Amino acid sequence: MGMVRSIWNGTITFGLIAVPIKVHSATEDTGVHFHQVHAKDGAQIKQKRICGKEGKEVPYKEVAKGYEVKGGEFVLLSKEEIDAAAGERSRLIELEEFVSALAIDPVFYARTYYLGAGEKGADAYRLLHDALAKSERAGIGRWVFHNREYLVAIRPLGGVLALHTMRFADELVGPDDVEVPSPSRKPTAAEIKMAGKLVDTLHAAFAPGDFSDAYRERVRELIRAKARGEDLPAPEVAPADDQPELMAALEASLAGR
Amino acid sequence: MARSLWTGSLSFGLVNVPVALISAIRDQDLHFTQIHEKDGAPIEVHRFCEKEDVEVPYEEITHGYECDDGTQVIVSDLELEAIEPRRTRTIDIEQFVDLADVDPIYFDHPYFLVPASDDDGATRAYRLLTEVMGQTDRAALGRFVMRAKEYLAIVRARDGVLALTTMLFADGVRPTKDVDAATQKSHKPTTKQLNAAVAVIEELTTDWEPERYQDEYRKRLRAVVNRKRKGETIKSPTAAETPSPAPDLMDALERTLAEMTGVGTSTKPTGVTKSKTSAKHKQEA
Repeated sequence: MGMVRSIWNGTITFGLIAVPIKVHSATEDTGVHFHQVHAKDGAQIKQKRICGKEGKEVPYKEVAKGYEVKGGEFVLLSKEEIDAAAGERSRLIELEEFVSALAIDPVFYARTYYLGAGEKGADAYRLLHDALAKSERAGIGRWVFHNREYLVAIRPLGGVLALHTMRFADELVGPDDVEVPSPSRKPTAAEIKMAGKLVDTLHAAFAPGDFSDAYRERVRELIRAKARGEDLPAPEVAPADDQPELMAALEASLAGR
Repeated sequence: MARSLWTGSLSFGLVNVPVALISAIRDQDLHFTQIHEKDGAPIEVHRFCEKEDVEVPYEEITHGYECDDGTQVIVSDLELEAIEPRRTRTIDIEQFVDLADVDPIYFDHPYFLVPASDDDGATRAYRLLTEVMGQTDRAALGRFVMRAKEYLAIVRARDGVLALTTMLFADGVRPTKDVDAATQKSHKPTTKQLNAAVAVIEELTTDWEPERYQDEYRKRLRAVVNRKRKGETIKSPTAAETPSPAPDLMDALERTLAEMTGVGTSTKPTGVTKSKTSAKHKQEA
């Protein structure tokens, strides 16, 4: 089996069962990245750290992190001191509890990683995967990665185990925190029925491949054109939107199909 | 309520619902500034030309793209602006999908959409859309342009509010085929093993109550800042031991179950708090 590079190796435990795993990236940044260039001579731009007092360049080892406690007053911490907050340098993800995988709203998931079976861990990996799939559960644990501790959820995804780093509840705005003004009267049954029909006509199976990043493609095209010494034509201008009556708009939307 | 990041309309057939976009994320991270340790002065980042080693004013900076063959293509701000997506003020719903079919791996940044005006027509159209999507468990897929970038977004109803989440494109999600998921037949658990593992999972199952989980990292970082402020020394914690895989899976499963059911419910956790972690931190006054 072809192997992809792993970014972390360790062990998941649940009860007394240890599952050696490897962590792989599941997502990638597909954006087109530029570096800063000096227009005059095409040379790269280098960023220099300059001391605000001395006006001289500061070597990396002399840089501390300052946390502003009140206006202009900083508590200075070295990089090592900040790293001390990461927690134990543990190679362990303890699944101390399990929850219904469907109960977790996707807003809690931050980044996704894939897990592969680690050394001598194939049987245990398959057991955890199959047991999570059968019980429709996700395991919840903590993971120390890159000097930071994350809350993680582990669940089956596409035949492998996926690990999601999670957002904490206090980092999320909930629907209850959002004010939505109420209309003077509720939508009528006829409107709901009509809108439901419109939803039906626009219903499709989710096929992520149907959507591509058109902007990124245009940036790539621009780069190719520039590499050949050409220019690109200017884009078209968007038409203005107007707003017809709700029922009339629903009817007109359906009539056009 | 949070400041709106974008206003426009959610367009659905010929119906336009005027909406404002607000972030569903509250930044709780501690932010640090780079400081010169020696004199406590803040560090400024200046841009220098690598060739001339002189500081370069912002207006003289442009964008370089390095091609696979190592050559560099220069692209100006004007050229990038010319290909920016049309600045439409609409989120065009292209299709409705079953929410259950969209794996959370595609979800990126969460937002909410709120009616952009108290106008009765606007709030009624908003209510209509939340009710229809809520009743059918369907979500809308559409695109919109924000800050010169085009996003694919999924819009769904959450407790009467329209939740919008930007989405990853398909090529931003890696295939799983290169991951070693131990799919060979020899690794398949026996029915007995599988049932025992499910029993362990069920024993440890609890309700999903997100408020129970605290960001221990953030708390410790705040504690480190407070201790440093009082002049204390901070030392790094030591590494923990890693258990090795059990040679006999069935034995490990049986012992786990015996421990859980035999010694009452003492092994059932009340939350993944890891209080023992902070206790292990070596502290020096």
